[in-house]
Amino acid sequence: MGLCHGTLTAIPSGPVLEHRTLHNGSNLVTAAIPDAALTCLDFWCRGGSAWERSGEEGMAHFLEHMVFKGSRRLGPGEFDRRIEALGGSSNAATGFDDVHYHVLVPSAESKEALDLLLDLVLDPALEQDSFSMEREVVLEEIAQYRDQPDDQVLQTLLELCCAPHSYGRPILGWENSLREMNPGGMRSYHHRRYQGANCCLSVAGALEEGLISHVLSSPLAALDTLMDSDQNTRTQSSLSFHSGRQCRTFPRLEAARLMMVWPVASADDQLAIAGADLATTILAEGRRSRLVQKLREELQIVESIDMDVTTLEQGSLVMLEACCPAEQIERVEMEIHQQLNSSLTTAITDEEFHRALQLVGNGHRFSLEAPGAVAASAGSQTLWGRHRDLLAPLQDLMHWNASTLRERVMPLLQPQHSFTLIARSEDNA
Amino acid sequence: MTTTGVLSAKLWIRRGSSADPLGQRGGHQLLGSVLSRGCGPVDHLQLADLVEGCGAGLRCDTHEDGILISLKCRDIDADRLLPALGWMLRQPHLDESQIELERDLSLQALQRQREDPFHRAFDGWRQLAYGKGPYGHDPLGIGIDLEQLQKAQLTSLASDLESRGSVLALSGTIPDQAQAQLVDWLGTSKTESSSSEAGSAIRTSLESDRGERASLGLQSLATEQVVLMLGQAALPHGHPDDLALRLLQAHLGSGMSSLLFRRLREEHGVAYDVGVHHPARAGAAPFVMHASTGVDRAELSLELLLKSWIELMETSISEVDLKLAKAKFKGQLAHGSQTTGQRAERRAQLRGLNLPDDHDQSCLNQLDQLRASDLRDAAGRHLQSPQLSLCGPAETLASLEKQWTLSAFAEGNAP
Repeated sequence: MGLCHGTLTAIPSGPVLEHRTLHNGSNLVTAAIPDAALTCLDFWCRGGSAWERSGEEGMAHFLEHMVFKGSRRLGPGEFDRRIEALGGSSNAATGFDDVHYHVLVPSAESKEALDLLLDLVLDPALEQDSFSMEREVVLEEIAQYRDQPDDQVLQTLLELCCAPHSYGRPILGWENSLREMNPGGMRSYHHRRYQGANCCLSVAGALEEGLISHVLSSPLAALDTLMDSDQNTRTQSSLSFHSGRQCRTFPRLEAARLMMVWPVASADDQLAIAGADLATTILAEGRRSRLVQKLREELQIVESIDMDVTTLEQGSLVMLEACCPAEQIERVEMEIHQQLNSSLTTAITDEEFHRALQLVGNGHRFSLEAPGAVAASAGSQTLWGRHRDLLAPLQDLMHWNASTLRERVMPLLQPQHSFTLIARSEDNA
Repeated sequence: MTTTGVLSAKLWIRRGSSADPLGQRGGHQLLGSVLSRGCGPVDHLQLADLVEGCGAGLRCDTHEDGILISLKCRDIDADRLLPALGWMLRQPHLDESQIELERDLSLQALQRQREDPFHRAFDGWRQLAYGKGPYGHDPLGIGIDLEQLQKAQLTSLASDLESRGSVLALSGTIPDQAQAQLVDWLGTSKTESSSSEAGSAIRTSLESDRGERASLGLQSLATEQVVLMLGQAALPHGHPDDLALRLLQAHLGSGMSSLLFRRLREEHGVAYDVGVHHPARAGAAPFVMHASTGVDRAELSLELLLKSWIELMETSISEVDLKLAKAKFKGQLAHGSQTTGQRAERRAQLRGLNLPDDHDQSCLNQLDQLRASDLRDAAGRHLQSPQLSLCGPAETLASLEKQWTLSAFAEGNAP
């Protein structure tokens, strides 16, 4: 065997965060990673699909597309050309709660990239011609997802358990709502959401000298301080979740799916989220977890089974997905119920708890290597007022033990509290 | 509490799916999947206890050119976990019940992949481009072959696992003690690097029956969109013209300033997801343009893809675009070496493909000398006969088939 040693770089500790709140309420968070070759600039806004009003369904995501069509100063495509000519890259993502736009550039280019990014995001041109063209692209994106059975099953599940809450409708919106939109309505949405207190800039990497003062005199600092009237109603619109069970058929599904979803605490209850992470790891992470060991390894009735915690501001969701041959689905459901029921009474062993602690903890530790991941983590937390260290989740884990997990988390993850969707192929129906 | 050091280890074994014997397609993937299901002094549960108990990640992925075992852990756990890589490589148990379980899981995964129209279209293109050659099947295998695979075949494959050598790359915090013991844990035998045996086998296979292959593959599926894949089996990684094709890939498909993005998405709004798939391979690697588009605009999308392909050979890209492509290429190298895992994998991959450690730096040094005409000439040499794979509604496929038969690349129309 040949041996070769890569670069001997260590992460002696998590990057230290510095938080600043600007006079207009916007936030800046920086994470210095001095030896990183690239710097990530990540602009976050409380402007996900949950903030859309009636008739605006899909607007947050469509706006994210339109932002890249240019600003009043940057012509169409100019932003991409200039960022990529710097050896950088850019992208964006719209979620239920927030949207973010990020660029990753060589550290020496970060001031120029910052100017380009803020100009693009805060002053989009939203011209009619490009609006009409980009709407076609979004409709193609929707069609592409509709051709993926996996995505159809997930979207159906969310609709069944969450609608009419905004988490129950697709972030991409509906064709008819998109067809009704115009640049004026989008400009008004942009003005309403992209305000000082709704915005946060996160920077991670080697921090170019003068970068922070550059931010403090940038268009981020010039944003309106006006508060969106939605701001005060946010806390009232917490997730309304329906438990239940349905069977549906889907075209072109090659394996049956059993999906279960449970409502858990909102993102600001970090201790509860840590508890959910530990519990789902004990149940379904790795060959030695209870569900994987029983259903995949021993009974061999599933191809895969996993559980995830999706952290959301108005109420997080725990999701379980099992893929199996259609003829096994009843048995799979019964065995899952048995395992979940027994989690109420079967003590979590020291080995199980230690294993979960290591897996979840390392998940956090291992995510701090790349500037993009650090900026995203710091930005998403700071945006929602959680000015915490990157490794604070490790402290949260230490608040739990085997008994408290069994007594306080496992009862939340019982079948009767879930919404269950049994998805079979239309072809076998 | 602070973050401790992270260690990434990547073990590249130069035996991948391209080395699957006749009638055993999927053999190396199945072998790879059972390496962690009992090896050395531990059975499948004890190894899971060891790895998961450290909160580490251990996975095995079979690619066309090699099996890649990846370990990510904290430095403090390295001395407990690194020996497992040696056990997997040299002392797999190949327990029959574990083989049976993994074989069933692979068969189910194969079935589930069929849900994805992109996957189907790429499978179709792979068939067109490589036929029964070493790259002609998904590394996961083929159902009829997988069903037949037993312990005897895997034992035989396992005995050849190091016939072309293997490479271990470490990145991150490497504890001193671990460094001193690496030889004990993993051995140093069989260090000779292979010739470019795998690559030449693939080139030979391509040349021998290229004339017999169809240029168009159709898969009818009741979807809203049609997936288009237009591409050609091109060059091995490290070929003298490889850098020129990498720059063409950057020009065509990297980022939002790329030609395909601008042309299909910005100018015509006919597709959301467009790009170029061009992985690094020991043999002739795919160079494939891809897009998915609504049926009513599929003909326009195909026309735009064909136009873009023809331009590669007939016109030189502008100086501005050349400069941009070079900047993107440099950027991609920086983007691809941010984490310990990325750095270790690139080192392992380069040695796995018998390329020098400084290959990427050499490419950077050569960038300045490449002119737009060099890119055009390289395209003329290696991209003259693309093949088209389509997946979508039958009616749309029929109209696209007519369009293809009129194109310069259809059988009988070649220049």
